[in-house]
Amino acid sequence: MKTSSLLAGVALAISFIAASSPASAQVKDSITIYNAQHEGLTKEWAQAFTEETGIAVTIRNGSDLEIGNQIVQEGANSPADVFLTENSPAMALVDGKGLFAPVDQATLDQVPDGFKAGNGHWVGVAARSTVFAYDKRKLNEGTLPKSMLDLAKPEWKGRWTASPSGADFQAIVGALLQLKGEEATAAWLKAMKENSTSIRGNSTAMKAVNAGQFEGALIYHYYWAGDQAKTGENSNNVLLHYFKNQDPGAFVSISGGGVLASSKHKEQAQAFLKWVTGKGGQKVLRDGTSFEYAVGKGEASNKALIPLADLQAPKVEPSTLNNAKVTDMMTAAGLL
Amino acid sequence: MTSTTETMFSTAPRRRSPAGSSWTLTIAVVVALLALLPLGFVLWATAATGWDTAIQLIFRGRVGELLTNTVLLILFTVPICTALALALAWLTERTDLPGARFWSWMAVAPLAVPAFVHSYAWVGMWPAINGLGAGVAISVVAYFPFLYLPISAAFRLLDPALEDQAASLGLAPFAVFRRVVLPQLRLALCGGALLIGLHLLAEYGLFAMIRFDTFTTAIIDQFQSTYNGVAAYMLALVLVLCCFVLLGIEAGLRGRRRYARLGPGVARHVKIAKLGAWKYLLLLLPIATAAFSLGIPALTIARWLIAGGWSIWNVSEVGLALWQTLVICLIGGLATTAAAVPIAWLSIRRPTRASRFLEGCYYLASSMPGVVVALALVTVTVRAILPLYQTVATIVLAYVVMFLPRALVSLRASIAQVPVELEHTAASLGRSPGNALWSTTVRLAAPGAAAGVALSSLGIMNELTATQMLAPNGTRTLAMAFWALTSEIDYAGAAPYAVLMVVFSMPLTWLLHHQSKKIAGR
Amino acid sequence: MTLLQLTSLRKNYGSVAALDGVTLSVPAGSRTAIVGPSGCGKTTLLRLVAGFDQPDNGTITFDGQVLADGSSHVPAHKRGIGIVAQDGCLFPHLTVLQNIGFGMTEDRAAKEASAAELMSMVGLDRAMLARKPDQLSGGQQQRVALARALARKPRLMLLDEPFSALDTGLRAATRKAVTDVLSAAGITTLLVTHDQGEALAFADQVAVMRAGKFAQVGSPRDVYSRPVDPATAAFLGEAIVLPAEIADGRAQSPLGLLQVDDLGYRGRADILLRPEQISVVAEGEGTAGTISEINFCGPTSDARIALGEGFSFRLDIPSREMLLPGDAVKIGVSGKAHVFR
Repeated sequence: MKTSSLLAGVALAISFIAASSPASAQVKDSITIYNAQHEGLTKEWAQAFTEETGIAVTIRNGSDLEIGNQIVQEGANSPADVFLTENSPAMALVDGKGLFAPVDQATLDQVPDGFKAGNGHWVGVAARSTVFAYDKRKLNEGTLPKSMLDLAKPEWKGRWTASPSGADFQAIVGALLQLKGEEATAAWLKAMKENSTSIRGNSTAMKAVNAGQFEGALIYHYYWAGDQAKTGENSNNVLLHYFKNQDPGAFVSISGGGVLASSKHKEQAQAFLKWVTGKGGQKVLRDGTSFEYAVGKGEASNKALIPLADLQAPKVEPSTLNNAKVTDMMTAAGLL
Repeated sequence: MTSTTETMFSTAPRRRSPAGSSWTLTIAVVVALLALLPLGFVLWATAATGWDTAIQLIFRGRVGELLTNTVLLILFTVPICTALALALAWLTERTDLPGARFWSWMAVAPLAVPAFVHSYAWVGMWPAINGLGAGVAISVVAYFPFLYLPISAAFRLLDPALEDQAASLGLAPFAVFRRVVLPQLRLALCGGALLIGLHLLAEYGLFAMIRFDTFTTAIIDQFQSTYNGVAAYMLALVLVLCCFVLLGIEAGLRGRRRYARLGPGVARHVKIAKLGAWKYLLLLLPIATAAFSLGIPALTIARWLIAGGWSIWNVSEVGLALWQTLVICLIGGLATTAAAVPIAWLSIRRPTRASRFLEGCYYLASSMPGVVVALALVTVTVRAILPLYQTVATIVLAYVVMFLPRALVSLRASIAQVPVELEHTAASLGRSPGNALWSTTVRLAAPGAAAGVALSSLGIMNELTATQMLAPNGTRTLAMAFWALTSEIDYAGAAPYAVLMVVFSMPLTWLLHHQSKKIAGR
Repeated sequence: MTLLQLTSLRKNYGSVAALDGVTLSVPAGSRTAIVGPSGCGKTTLLRLVAGFDQPDNGTITFDGQVLADGSSHVPAHKRGIGIVAQDGCLFPHLTVLQNIGFGMTEDRAAKEASAAELMSMVGLDRAMLARKPDQLSGGQQQRVALARALARKPRLMLLDEPFSALDTGLRAATRKAVTDVLSAAGITTLLVTHDQGEALAFADQVAVMRAGKFAQVGSPRDVYSRPVDPATAAFLGEAIVLPAEIADGRAQSPLGLLQVDDLGYRGRADILLRPEQISVVAEGEGTAGTISEINFCGPTSDARIALGEGFSFRLDIPSREMLLPGDAVKIGVSGKAHVFR
């Protein structure tokens, strides 16, 4: 009896491995995506892409820097074909190690300058804006912070929250570092440790504001729109404050996509990036439930959003955002 | 004893030790080395980091905060769990509480609800809860059964004559409880409390959801920012040291002695305390416990299921997650049990200092938090053994390390029940030693092995931390899917996964309860 | 003076009557043994006296105070009655010293002093005070248990088969030691045992119990040689029961004309002879019989002896007679036979 059950187990194991391991990626028309974007969005992209092209997609989920560092560790042996992020720093990290293959020119041409790496090694696939999501019962035009830097002032002690463990927030800090320098950033982080409460996850932070636990949260814009589109249960007391004026708090973060130099399915991987930045992929952003900004040339974003052009974002070079420095500084400030 | 066949067929004279024994030992040693890999890794990582960096990363404010959180969490949770479990065990085992059997089941059932689902349920009920208070409250309802199980089993085993004897020596009932009953429960209390302490150190989902930071959540934060950076290693080192402190405290409190019953006396059926009118007041305790530990999860899940309607039952996704979970549980359970066989057999049939030492290694290894095990295996496979990287083999190894003692306990008990004479008899009837072992002990210990598979599967099904970090590409277990959805506060979408985890854990929990009764004497 | 008085005690477990109306007086300073087969209710009786259980009916009076009367109940810890259980029941988590000092209320130094004294009283080395119970032999455990119960200076000591777990040789020695200690301390003792030899050797008063009732209460000699019925007779020792025709203090039986202990009875009745009253010889005086079966067992042989009229009885006879099946023997009887009226 034991022999047979063992054999059955081994058989199952083999079928399982065959179904889920990189081995299956060797089937010709199939790619593996290391995905740090929202699972739902990437799944929508992948399903539509597979339907159109017949190329199967396996997705491994994680967060930006987790997967970015993972790819660096895996080096030439990475099973990944495509890397998708929510923010640019992880892209910069992988590109810095020379692990990306150049993106096809046709794909790059679909996206305007400033939304892709200058060297053409990765391309923006979507964008999100920094906002201060606030409790409309407690704050108004007059009492809102004028700049993200104001949140470091003593009067904001205990009143706001953020998710410093997330890549989103770390991208904002990366922008701050690029715009204001190391000293100012370290001071701001130190003040943040004093003033703010750390919450894991941007949506959870917004939910806490909605529940009246904090007056505001430094997060990205699309969580609010997404919740409003569903039940609004976690955002009905919340409004969004855009800092604008090229403030560090008006930072627009670019979600990137790249093809790994080690990929054995480069053709299919390039096809995926082309599709995502093209009409099909950008339509998913416009009509779907992600509420992230579309970045393709001539592609409008979801009607519920303030147009990207009106956000007065500061000019930040996405390909040089330095996340290793950011995590070190945040670790030093006691936020990690 | 040397059989004639043996002398006939072997050219070299053999010693008494039967063939197979040395092989078994070799396998047991290899498994032990694999199990100790995470611990070795942490030591290696510390050494490789260098003193200056290590000190800088360990002696900083953040580590102090985490340490304070962890110590407070344990200091509040463990005593509350102990008091609650003790009271419930006494009420269900030693009093005429109405429905005592039912309440006994209700006290074990919370184990079928994964800790992070408890947290999800509480957050669903009270969205604003957070911090130490919430951490303690949820930990208590999630983990008190770990103390209830051994305490109630120990209550059943106590010789009631000792309590009578103490009364005849002039002790009032409460003094009897304090001076005679409690000391005999010490092993159960220490063991259960240690288990809870280790779970508190290792748990991620429960605390992440109510934003209470512990070493494990901080390591995951670091992991998500840097994959496997030095800061994560150093946090892991401190976490491992915390585990050692707990193990040390437990070893000190437990003492070296097991309290066996003296003499051949027959256990009399226990005396049942009559609660009288008190019973209605005391009934509130199990009712309240069940309300918090089972009612809240049931209510929240039901609420989200209703709110979500049919649309959250995406059959292909939920079905795939269920299928993958069941397969990985089965593979993990079988592998864990198979890995436990050599040491189980050795510890019963060839109890030597070496086998005891090996057994200790397994227990030590399994007390390492999942996050440490996973961090070690990720780093080792990606840097040194790439073919095993992101494979089922690696995640199964992690499960073996984490859950081997569960299988070992079941196997040991069932092997111990098979008289060695059966093996001897089989040998005298002409079977080779291996064949004799297979046709007697292995066959008869099969129920224990099955229980071992089931119990380790229960652990695997509800494991989140290591599974997330080690899962092969494209794998999405129930726990992973549940966690991904709750992270985006899609509580309704997560509900089907919670239901499935609970439903599939229930029979395994029943088995756990059943087994604890059976092997309570160990 | 009566120290302990049990009156019409009844105790049911479900529908089973463990005690079915038990009455007993235990005089102060005496040693009483309750003997009966297992399941006869003797342990239940002891538990009622100790206060571990409550009687359904009847009263227990101790030194003039009612301990239990079916409604009210003095709990065990307030009775001041000592008990030594079958397996000693030492607390496994405590040392010998802590066990002996367990029920004492004195300070530490006084405890240690009395414990040492008690140890020598029960014949144990003081060096054992530091040991854990599982480092003692069975006999030593029983002595510690006795010392622990004695430490509270009880007026009544209950012994619940305290010697039955011991080896045969050790049993007699331990019993003697316990008897001596209790006598020296003048403590009234109630022993429960299924071993009739132990009961007869230990007690001043023996109560034979059967099915929840006392079949007979009396002195050891009395219950042994003048049992109330054949079953009691058989329980207390080897019994040879023969039908007889009785008149004027004599009985006409298959063993011939015998003297009986009942001068007044006339008519048919069964009579009892104990084996030690009977001698079997190959040649000599007595009733004629035949060896129908014989098994050699060393010093004695287990023989079945056939008498006339189809009667036979079993008897251990000295092996030196070298008898074989079919041999004719003469059977002699000394002393009086007991008449079951």
